[in-house]
Amino acid sequence: MFETIDPRSATPLYAQIASRLRIAIAAGELRPGAALPSVRHLAAQLRMNPATVVQAYRDLEDEGFVEMRQGAGTFVREVAPEGRARERARQASVLVRQMLADAGRLGVSLSELQAAIAQEIGVETS
Amino acid sequence: MMNAIETDQLHYRAAKTFHISGLGLKVPVGAIYGFLGPNGSGKTTTIRLVLGLLRPLAGRISVLGHEIPRDAPSILAQVGFVPEQPHLDSILTVRETLAFHAAFYPTWDWPWAERLLRQFDLEERQPFGRLSKGQKGKVMMLLALAQRPELLVLDEPTDGLDPVVRRDVLSALLDYVSQRRASVFISSHLIHELERFCDWIGVMDNGRLITQVPMERFKNGIKRLRISGAPPIPESLPFVLLGREQTDGATETWLVREWEPQMSAYFDRPGVTLTEVMDLDLEEGFVELLRTFRGPRA
Amino acid sequence: MFRVILYNQWKWSRLLVVLGSVAGFALPIVSLQGAARADASPLAPAELLRTVQSWGVLYPVLAATLGLLVAITTWTPDHRGRHVYALVLPVPRWRYVLLRFGAGALLLAAPITAVLVGALVATSSAAIPAGLQGYPVALAVRFALAVLVAFAVFFAVSAGTARTAGIVLALIGGVMLVQVIADVARVDFDLVGKLQLLVLNWPGPLAIFTGRWMLIDV
Repeated sequence: MFETIDPRSATPLYAQIASRLRIAIAAGELRPGAALPSVRHLAAQLRMNPATVVQAYRDLEDEGFVEMRQGAGTFVREVAPEGRARERARQASVLVRQMLADAGRLGVSLSELQAAIAQEIGVETS
Repeated sequence: MMNAIETDQLHYRAAKTFHISGLGLKVPVGAIYGFLGPNGSGKTTTIRLVLGLLRPLAGRISVLGHEIPRDAPSILAQVGFVPEQPHLDSILTVRETLAFHAAFYPTWDWPWAERLLRQFDLEERQPFGRLSKGQKGKVMMLLALAQRPELLVLDEPTDGLDPVVRRDVLSALLDYVSQRRASVFISSHLIHELERFCDWIGVMDNGRLITQVPMERFKNGIKRLRISGAPPIPESLPFVLLGREQTDGATETWLVREWEPQMSAYFDRPGVTLTEVMDLDLEEGFVELLRTFRGPRA
Repeated sequence: MFRVILYNQWKWSRLLVVLGSVAGFALPIVSLQGAARADASPLAPAELLRTVQSWGVLYPVLAATLGLLVAITTWTPDHRGRHVYALVLPVPRWRYVLLRFGAGALLLAAPITAVLVGALVATSSAAIPAGLQGYPVALAVRFALAVLVAFAVFFAVSAGTARTAGIVLALIGGVMLVQVIADVARVDFDLVGKLQLLVLNWPGPLAIFTGRWMLIDV
């Protein structure tokens, strides 16, 4: 699940972990009530600082995706479908923002971008 | 106790041209401190000084609050050490090596040592001298971890090991650190490895400690700026300008340190545009830091 | 701690200890056998004493050899690792050295006991002529002291860096070589004799190696 974590990326490691888990929860890969790997297990598996994992879990807890139960572990909370849809929408914005930034850097205009999207999807966009 | 390892104005001379000067290490308790530096910069010598294997010419050393070398024999019971070169008796088997070590460390955890033996897939009855480099590395890490120390001092523990062994060794290390709030002082060439888990970083070059900061500050603080219309002689910079070069035409690339996002306001002046702020990964940052620190003679 | 150091020591020197014990046991017995005549008549005192004396030369040689080799094997593992392991162990250096010394000395108890047993067996089974007596215990005690003195001396030399130990042993070898060359060239230069007088006759522990080692005496 975490193969794409890249220490060289500008995004802090805890944010990358949290992001990956958020996607998994939103997509239903991790069902409500499921236990996330223990901090110890994940830190060892990813060869990362346990503090990094703890921060990722805390962020997810703050956002309401998981709850950390003392002594028992971290568990996925019941997220309403609207919550998951909201998260997907958020991910979509992130993707688009990234694409627009890259396009701007490469000098690709908006219309050129739209044409490329159309070609890839095979659907006409106006 | 403030720091797991602390040195103050440490001086040492080995050969005519090699000396360590004014070293002020500060490794906070519970930190995973990455110690970087090119070959010959004095990393191993520093570690030897910290453990009391060498006597400094001047300066103070303290480990877990105790003075080195005065209190070395007692406090070293709390320190797990993995040296660069295998240092164990070649005639003893793996199990005998563990038994020998266990006799000296009251905090030794046999059940965990057994689990690590299985995890590392080590052949118990093989003499240490006949093990492969990777297996020797695993044994040394096993000894240091099963001791359950408060401080781990690791001198290039994964050097020369294949990627699979490296992962196993680092996994076990981080498993231990997750179990208890141990401090880790690890020197390595493999910067990308350290990047994953160190929260502090110290860079050594030519016997001097040139920087010692939290990892996030180091990684985030070094940036490449692409600027057009850059002022020829910049004044009152909020950041540290390490170097600048002409990229093309009116565009320059500046290498800076201790950058913070709000500093882009500095470029809000007529004729100047900050077109891009580029991140450097740890390795690039390290290389650039050394290059600029060494200055014109590099 | 002593147990693991003893085991470590044993692993390095077990061949030495076993061979040394065999030699130690055999020496007194063989020295008395050598005095027996083909017709198994009782041994003549003068001849017996001569044989015992000449075989007796081997005791100090065996003692010195055992002391030297066990001392070397005590420090070999530490030297190989440049003492890094020992110096990082949470024991004071003096205590570690003492543990190593004790382990070596304990292992040397085997050949010492072998000499004692061999001497007792030899003197009790041989027909000693009137006027002479067997001194098995005295011999064994002297052997014990000689072994331990040799061990202590070479232990101290080896405890330093490998370089110092090498220098000392090279010096000893050098002196021997000079003597041999002088003898071959028939030059009257008794270097070893002079040094011997200096080192061994001076009242000190090394004096134990001089003189006659008599299993049977008047």
